[in-house]
Amino acid sequence: MKESTKMLLHYTTGIGIEIVGGVHLFTIFLTGPYLQNLAFSGGPYSVIAVYRNSLLAATLELLLIFVAYHALNGIRVILIEFHQGTSWERGVSWVLTATGIMLLVYGTRTILIANALA
Amino acid sequence: MGVATMISLVPELKRALFGWFYPYRYNLERWAYALQRISGIAVAGYFLAHVVETGNLVGGLGVWSVPPADFSRDAWTATFRFLDNPLFDAGLIVIGFMLAYHAANGIRLTLTEFGFLQGRPTRPDFPYVPKSFTKAQRALFWLSLLFAVGAAVYALNVFFGV
Repeated sequence: MKESTKMLLHYTTGIGIEIVGGVHLFTIFLTGPYLQNLAFSGGPYSVIAVYRNSLLAATLELLLIFVAYHALNGIRVILIEFHQGTSWERGVSWVLTATGIMLLVYGTRTILIANALA
Repeated sequence: MGVATMISLVPELKRALFGWFYPYRYNLERWAYALQRISGIAVAGYFLAHVVETGNLVGGLGVWSVPPADFSRDAWTATFRFLDNPLFDAGLIVIGFMLAYHAANGIRLTLTEFGFLQGRPTRPDFPYVPKSFTKAQRALFWLSLLFAVGAAVYALNVFFGV
């Protein structure tokens, strides 16, 4: 992937996070008492209610993908600004891609299982 | 790249990182940059922890199929009890500040990336004061900081009910 494509994706996911992350924060802080919303079950926006709502669960999956890319690419930008060189940049990309895949697999597992919880 | 080469890079990486915390003759744009980097790393760290933390909602690392709901409820309640203390709440106030600054200042950076708010190109004249950090950008930087303070105050109210 070209460097310019990576940075275009960085800015795009940044804007995406502001929208999807806004929804995420809204459901937690502005839909009722914060402690009720962080309880396992109970109110309409309790933890499990949010995951069972497939639309909200989909926004969480989107948020996971956007933030994983944005955060890891941000770390990549910092690390290749610190030091330049083909093998360094390749090593950094490799480690961060592997980290990203693990994060996506684990986070997606949480979302899918929580969505299916009886 | 061999391990020995990696280790030999450590002093260079250290110097580059600590430069952000050694604000020698910074102008405002350099402050905005350092804060964007520091807040980005802080929020990335929070994100990693948050994915692990919310993983406990279904029972943690060992669970890869749908468990009984009671099992998940207990796992989540235990996690929530562990995290519900003043130390983590204070941490969340800092994260709220960092997140709000990063989000608002990120809008400014996105605008400049795509060529907005740059001002007209002019001839560089002595004493070469940087002109790219325009008045509109300064305003957005201060607004970002204000927004971040607002978020921190909001979080303080949520967690400690001041």
